[in-house]
Amino acid sequence: MKKIPDKNGRFGIYGGKFAPETLMAPIEQLQNAYFTIGKSSEFKKELNYYLKFYAGRPTPLYFAKDFSQYIGCHVYLKREDLAFTGSHKINNTLGQVLLAKKMGKTRIIAEKGAGEHGVATAAAAALFKLECEIYMGEVDVQRQSLNVYRMKLLGAKVNCVKSGSKTLKDAINEALRDWISSFKTTHYVIGSVVGFHPFPVMVRDFQSVIGRETKKQILKAEKRLPDYLVACVGGGSNSLGLFHPFYNYKNVKFIGVEAAGKGLDTDYHSATLCKGSPGILHGSFSYILQDNDGQIHPTHSISAGLDYPGTGPEHSFYKDSGRAEYHAMTDQQVLNAFHLLSELEGIIPALESAHAVSYLIENKKRFNPDDIIVVCLSGRGDKDVGEVARIEGVSL
Amino acid sequence: MKINERFELLKNENRNGLIIYLTAGCPDISFTENFIIQLEQTGVDFIEIGVPFSDPIADGPVIQKASQEALKNKVNLVSIFEMCKRLKRRISIPYLLMSYFNPVFRYGLENFAKDSNECGVSGVIIPDLPFEESLSFRTILDKYNVDQILFISSTTSLRRREMILKAARGFIYYIAVHGVTGIRDVLPDETYQDVANLRKKSKVPVAVGFGISNQQQVKRLKGCADGIIIGSYVMKEIMAGNHEFLLETLKNFLSILKSS
Repeated sequence: MKKIPDKNGRFGIYGGKFAPETLMAPIEQLQNAYFTIGKSSEFKKELNYYLKFYAGRPTPLYFAKDFSQYIGCHVYLKREDLAFTGSHKINNTLGQVLLAKKMGKTRIIAEKGAGEHGVATAAAAALFKLECEIYMGEVDVQRQSLNVYRMKLLGAKVNCVKSGSKTLKDAINEALRDWISSFKTTHYVIGSVVGFHPFPVMVRDFQSVIGRETKKQILKAEKRLPDYLVACVGGGSNSLGLFHPFYNYKNVKFIGVEAAGKGLDTDYHSATLCKGSPGILHGSFSYILQDNDGQIHPTHSISAGLDYPGTGPEHSFYKDSGRAEYHAMTDQQVLNAFHLLSELEGIIPALESAHAVSYLIENKKRFNPDDIIVVCLSGRGDKDVGEVARIEGVSL
Repeated sequence: MKINERFELLKNENRNGLIIYLTAGCPDISFTENFIIQLEQTGVDFIEIGVPFSDPIADGPVIQKASQEALKNKVNLVSIFEMCKRLKRRISIPYLLMSYFNPVFRYGLENFAKDSNECGVSGVIIPDLPFEESLSFRTILDKYNVDQILFISSTTSLRRREMILKAARGFIYYIAVHGVTGIRDVLPDETYQDVANLRKKSKVPVAVGFGISNQQQVKRLKGCADGIIIGSYVMKEIMAGNHEFLLETLKNFLSILKSS
């Protein structure tokens, strides 16, 4: 079987290394480090130690009894919300920051939307004693003041990005600009399966712990593999982390759920795979949201973690090859899911994860009573309660 | 005029070339067009016309701002090619297009190469298309007789330098600083030595860009490069409305590049 990605970082036609020349040397250095140090058994052993004792892995695979009854089949929740810092993001940041330390880097930079990547990076940097700076769009700084303070408590410097649309994509632009100037001492921890090779494959590998655990856990619980894996897709790291270890089991269907925002027929969504077209953004060839001139489109989603106009090249490959199907849920459907799961199971999901939950709710009829579905509950919703209260007009 | 013809001329006149970058459409497209005429009259050797992009990751604040201004004016490749078509009759110095890859990809690589040729564009600079990803587009551009300009920076490994030099067309764009575009008071000392060494190995001329804005830099580069590229400094003065002052400064740079 052909290796995916190939040595040039191509997943079929997608991926690659569309980087400014100045970054080609650090990218090559990272590639070498990842495929030697990062693949060594000592590194894996050390990383596993921190995943277990620092991040609290393995996370449970929880049989959601009442939610299952509501949907009409067997639904398990992979509880990434119980990983330290509140989401799956820590799996990747521990891996990358540990690798950066082994490479002799002394400084870490990262971008942050309103998901948990910034906090997870700041925590890992504090743990491994590396200096840390986080780039965050001005719009996100305003709607995420508590998270900004959390990162400061962890010793990180937070840079407010005022360029472009002042959101996640602009934070990535600014972090890349920093890296172009600072790569000798600095590693850029990209938070998702996006960017130039080797980032998409490296982040996927670090997140694959989700799927590997799930496989063991479901076999123990049900003595067979699941029929469906369902996860939200922005950049796409929690979904690929869950999907990838099941890639060769063709009976396990993959469902990725994007943000339809105010509706796919409006301009206010982030449904890159459902509505976008192939193009080049942030270093790789993948589906993106763009206008006729190839300018990147502004996005909208109730969950800022999905508010991104691109997606991982491996998802684009899955889409074209039919290995995964992609759907999108609106803000309103997601809010319903947010409430329903909280009430039925006592679990407040992150708005990102609520997209995956919402797909099940709106497509109940699709599933048979014997079907086993694993939903990646990628993060906890505590960070979102303020925003939900605001949207629903509840004063706190 | 083709790029190599202009460098031939420069060689015969024993001087270095001055390449001026302008973001097309900042403050508006007719300004860009008319200012290019003035630049030729001032003695500038090449024009690099920047296609605005929403996410210019290799650019500093000045060109980011200029790009946003241009995008507000709805400038796109269609209006830029129209301008180039007019320039073909109005100027004789070579002009190149600088664009991030996505607008070009969206326009269609073949269409882009064809229209470049028809509109007199002599070369194309794509900052996010490194050597490894450049072959298929280069093949198309070759067919239409348009030079694909490749980059080298001080961090480019020897192995990659050899490949890039072998594939070079027009000139090598040497990136003078570790960083994004923008004005720097001084360039790293290693830049000058590295450029001088590179020039000995390169079959095409070497032009240096990123960070250049003052006389001292121009004087020092004169000794080691075939051309210098100025962008952010130009756009900063344009956005501040200092056009006359800018042209005077460029005249000064040109006289430095001329003197032996």
